[in-house]
Amino acid sequence: MAEKKAAANEKPRIGVFVCHCGSNIGGFVDVPSVAEYAKTLPDVVYSTDNLYTCAEDGLASIREGIRKHDLNRVIVASCTPRTHAPLFQATCESAGLNKYMFTFVNIREHCSWVHMKEKDKASKKAKDLIRMGVARARLLEPQEEAKVEVTPASVVVGGGVSGMTAALSMADMGFPVHLVERDGELGGFIRNLNNLYVTEKSASETIKPLIEKVKAHKNIHLHLNSQLKGVEGFIGNYEVVIGTKGAEDLKAKVGTIVIATGALEFVPEGLYGYNQYPNVVTLTEFEILCKKKTLPKLKNVAFIQCVGSRGQVKSYCSRICCNVAIKNAINIVDNYENMLGLMEKSGTVVEKIPVETKATDEIMERRRRRRGRERGEEGEAEEVKLGPSEKIEVTVFNRDVMAYGVEHELTYNKAREKRVKFVRYTTDHLPKVYMEGNQLMIAYFHETLKLERTMPVDMVVLSTPLVGQPDAGELSQMLKVPLGQEGFFLEAHVKLRPVDFATDGIYVCGTCRGPADITECATQASAAASRAAIPMAKGYVQAEALTSVVDETKCSGCGTCIQVCPYGALRKNEKGYAEVIVAACKGCGCCGATCPEGAITMTNYTDAQLLAESRAALEEV
Amino acid sequence: MVIGGGIAGIQAALDLADKGIIVHVVEKTPSIGGRMAQLDKTFPTNDCSICILAPKMADCFSHPNTNVITYAEVVGVEGKAGAFKVKVLKKSRYVDESKCTGCGECLEKCPVKVPSEFEMGLGVRKAIYMPMMQSVPRVMTIDKEHCLMTLKGKCGNCKKACKREAIDYEMKDQVLEVEVGAIIVATGYDVWDPTTSTEYGYGRYPNVFTAMEYERMINAAGPTHGHIERRSDKKRPQKMAFIQCVGSRNPQVGHPYCCAVCCMHSTKEAMLAREHHDDMESSVFYKDMRACAKGFWEYVERAKRDYAVRYVNSDATVQENPENHNPIVVYDVGGRQQSEEFDMVVLASTLIPRKDTIELAKILGLKLDQFGFLESTDRILENGRTVVPGVYLAGYCGGPADIPESVAQGSSAAAKAVETLVQAGV
Amino acid sequence: MAEAQHAISEAKHDEKAGSWEPKIVGFLCNWCSYAGADLCGVSRYQYPTNIRTVRVMCSTRISPHIVLDLFKAGADGILLGGCHIGDCHYISGNFYTEKRVRLMKKLLEDAGVDPSRLRLEWVSASEGEKFSKVVTEFTDHVRKLGPSAVKKQEAAKAKVMAADDASVTFRLRALVGKEYNLETKGNVYKNTLDKAELEKLIDVATMDEFERSLILVLAKGKSRSVKELGSIMEVPTDKVLRHIVVLRQKNLISMEHPEGFTPTYRTIEIGGEQ
Repeated sequence: MAEKKAAANEKPRIGVFVCHCGSNIGGFVDVPSVAEYAKTLPDVVYSTDNLYTCAEDGLASIREGIRKHDLNRVIVASCTPRTHAPLFQATCESAGLNKYMFTFVNIREHCSWVHMKEKDKASKKAKDLIRMGVARARLLEPQEEAKVEVTPASVVVGGGVSGMTAALSMADMGFPVHLVERDGELGGFIRNLNNLYVTEKSASETIKPLIEKVKAHKNIHLHLNSQLKGVEGFIGNYEVVIGTKGAEDLKAKVGTIVIATGALEFVPEGLYGYNQYPNVVTLTEFEILCKKKTLPKLKNVAFIQCVGSRGQVKSYCSRICCNVAIKNAINIVDNYENMLGLMEKSGTVVEKIPVETKATDEIMERRRRRRGRERGEEGEAEEVKLGPSEKIEVTVFNRDVMAYGVEHELTYNKAREKRVKFVRYTTDHLPKVYMEGNQLMIAYFHETLKLERTMPVDMVVLSTPLVGQPDAGELSQMLKVPLGQEGFFLEAHVKLRPVDFATDGIYVCGTCRGPADITECATQASAAASRAAIPMAKGYVQAEALTSVVDETKCSGCGTCIQVCPYGALRKNEKGYAEVIVAACKGCGCCGATCPEGAITMTNYTDAQLLAESRAALEEV
Repeated sequence: MVIGGGIAGIQAALDLADKGIIVHVVEKTPSIGGRMAQLDKTFPTNDCSICILAPKMADCFSHPNTNVITYAEVVGVEGKAGAFKVKVLKKSRYVDESKCTGCGECLEKCPVKVPSEFEMGLGVRKAIYMPMMQSVPRVMTIDKEHCLMTLKGKCGNCKKACKREAIDYEMKDQVLEVEVGAIIVATGYDVWDPTTSTEYGYGRYPNVFTAMEYERMINAAGPTHGHIERRSDKKRPQKMAFIQCVGSRNPQVGHPYCCAVCCMHSTKEAMLAREHHDDMESSVFYKDMRACAKGFWEYVERAKRDYAVRYVNSDATVQENPENHNPIVVYDVGGRQQSEEFDMVVLASTLIPRKDTIELAKILGLKLDQFGFLESTDRILENGRTVVPGVYLAGYCGGPADIPESVAQGSSAAAKAVETLVQAGV
Repeated sequence: MAEAQHAISEAKHDEKAGSWEPKIVGFLCNWCSYAGADLCGVSRYQYPTNIRTVRVMCSTRISPHIVLDLFKAGADGILLGGCHIGDCHYISGNFYTEKRVRLMKKLLEDAGVDPSRLRLEWVSASEGEKFSKVVTEFTDHVRKLGPSAVKKQEAAKAKVMAADDASVTFRLRALVGKEYNLETKGNVYKNTLDKAELEKLIDVATMDEFERSLILVLAKGKSRSVKELGSIMEVPTDKVLRHIVVLRQKNLISMEHPEGFTPTYRTIEIGGEQ
């Protein structure tokens, strides 16, 4: 790299690589003509087009271009720098070019994909954008990056299954972890639940070993009744303030932060008689009744799915509620007596349900199965396993049964075998819950039969979605990580970075990033632990050279910049001039835009670069 | 060691390598990338699949701590957590990886055409080939099953064409012995072949496709350069049907589970059809619309609202109008049978364990579940941990998972592997 | 030079064809609005092709000088995109952006440019659709306003030049730099200032600085009398004279007073023109 250090003083030799991105750009922008045009721009000595610049052959063409044409500046015109800049910068570096001599021009997200029906204009815009990039590239200077040490310790916010799993994983990898839990005990949302999936074991027994391991681990510092009160610093060097009820605030130095604050259930105020009729409860409340064995005597139970979700109040599907409802349906069919408050455990009654009362649904169900086979061959009649008792009847009103994957689908099948009825409804015909005298009733529209029907029920269970924690917004502001419109944390990339935040050093897992079942939470948690362990195991991160620079010859020492810097990254030096603390500076540029003397500029975003780039947009071709 | 170079394996490898751990990645095919590399776009953002994957593939290959062994299989494992000895059969590709630049001069000269596996048989490749343009590593492979030189000792065109003298017909298979502390299995899935299930007419009716075929077809780099074409007359269809749960949620064919991704990929594919041509009309025949992860339901709503995708809640079977080869979809609404003619049918064929999973499970000592997926010891809290300490699972080989789940599982398996290495004092 | 010639011939061509297209520059912050624009692309929400975007780390990076310089260079519209208030990746950057945009708009107004040619919008990383709506709406708006007068009228250009010069004066930069803190944290005596009062103060200062800058622009290379300046600027002569007194104290303008003639003033030029 040293041999290219002097690049700033050399005459610029710019190479432009225009990407087709398959047809993503090539289909809407005349890429070859854009690459041709680039050759006419000042200081451009080489220009070409690649089918995929990001593929190995595209990268090879950059490396080769740098060598063959002695390029000291590289421009890639393709997608967004937010995902691909690191790749191309690394490619430049591998060919001996300082990564700050690279310029990214976005002609996909900002051009081909948003102008899909105007190829001429989109091509012209792509040329303009490249001209702007060239104007910027000509003024670039190589930069050195500061290496920042990483404190090999972490803080995990939230002591539910996700938080505990993440903490345990990092602790097992040998890193000290502060685990901060708001409540007086560990376990989180799971503590409400009766059992998980269809298991004999109670939920609390299932997670007991996890809690014990966390409590006993020498690397885990547990802070119960505590909250994260403040965060300062940046990746590798955070100073967090942990506030514990009845104790002094504790300050801790950590290198990474994992957010696992979980979610709450949506309260269906005003929906389906909730808070109006006594036996209308939410799914979580129902679990609590089961868990505490305080279920009232029931003959008919109805679950209503998607209460307040999928376009009603909340736009999203909460992923887990169908499966939780199915589990509970099976539980009460199989094990109803065990959950009763008063009724004695009576011996299990195995008795066949009189077929005629169920005829229509049975036949419909058989028809559906049969149609799948279609060919004459019928196969053996399926053995129908009956529930142990006809005393309880369970109906699940649903819009779609989200029994995805292996486990959930099999459980769903099991529930159907146990004669749990699944009745589909649509948003055009929502079920109605009302009282007829002393009897709780449900009116619904049978979508298959196209009939209005009513049925008496003893209890209605409303499956409501998970919603983000009400104070997630505060945490989001404290940590400067984004919260989505639905109140869940927004990961860096929906596909490929599910547990990272865009901000380095902070990670997310569990239901605070969106509804997920316990398996998924635990997986995400150890994934987050893995991601957080990367900088901690390495011991350092390379800080980007994107900071303010003070020109002492212009500085008057007025101190305005010190007032506006949100990071305290500026101070007065002994000569009375402003001075930048590079490790604390994040490169926002506020001081630069403020400085009354115009004495401050930003590396890699100088006034001259910004003006050259934007002024080039106004030129006519 | 990571077995399988798809997205789950790549993620696991990168997570380990970034922590300073040496990782061997063993990939069966000539290129890493896996299934995700075959997809056109990804839901729910319609991000171009290869665009977001390619940087990771390049990273995985060129990382100083990784050793990517392609065209290779694990054939034996000895030892225990912290000290495994793995035998890797590196099949001869008859091309010197250090010399080949992937320039493609040999391709023009090779006289043998073979249906391309990567293109799901819709396109052809030569006997010397790279599975895709973005292959990593970017080197050719000779398929000895079809190469005239390896079969009959006649031809040699590619050797003549190769300026870098990379072709070596004498190259032998090699068995490498690698010592590793932990093993991550990420071998992915196979697409179920719906030929055996006659009600969909796949294989008999030309204009019935599988979703994976369709993905290749709409891909700009695919066999039809992104044009949607009927097999019967190469005409572009206008009325499309997508049939869900083909071979899944269906005990009769042995796949009672839900494959967990096809509601979404069919929605995506229907949207993409409309994106390609304004007049495309798509209908999705489904049992339950399982759009149940972050942003998925909103995506389906968008498909209905902005892309005029029609959703029909019904099982469906396929017949054909023999005159024009138009598939006819038979379905029911409110118990009444209906039929409707379409130009093309795309089957969301279920995803099943790779057929060599049983063999691999034997080698590693792993258990299979009743459907042939590799089994975790505890599906609740320890998904991905197996009966063999030091061996972990990631991605679809352990059961249905979409891309972000596979990525999370890749990272998660990496964490478990590091825990093991730390405990073993490696 | 060659570029300039191109510009002229192209402009003529455009006029002939009557196919004027607004030129709009967008400055987008990396974390929210640029990401929102990315999502807009990923989601394929379409918008007019006129905008050319420049990525900055934070909207707070954009000083008034950058915006006014672009208007001087003939931009028809400028869009600034930042994170929503409270969501700034850099904690408080967009508070300052808001204050600066107020100054920019005031200066544009003083310079006779419709301040709605400058627009500040908060677009988050998840608001792809909003980005397309904002750009579409803004492009239509600028199209309705017509081409910037700067390209055709010297007088209009002089005013924008003066506004640009005013924007870099120590007084305005210091005032606007301190405005947010004066309002929220108070001055050295811990007195917070009333928002309306502070704005009034800044508006007066802005007008003063603009007029002084305009005098300097108009008297650059050409001696002018107070009366002449007053009539061009449409400012009462006594006010012009007051400005000239200040400018003379700062040694920015010189007086020429041949006997028997009205005194005229000429801008003192340091170094060559940029």
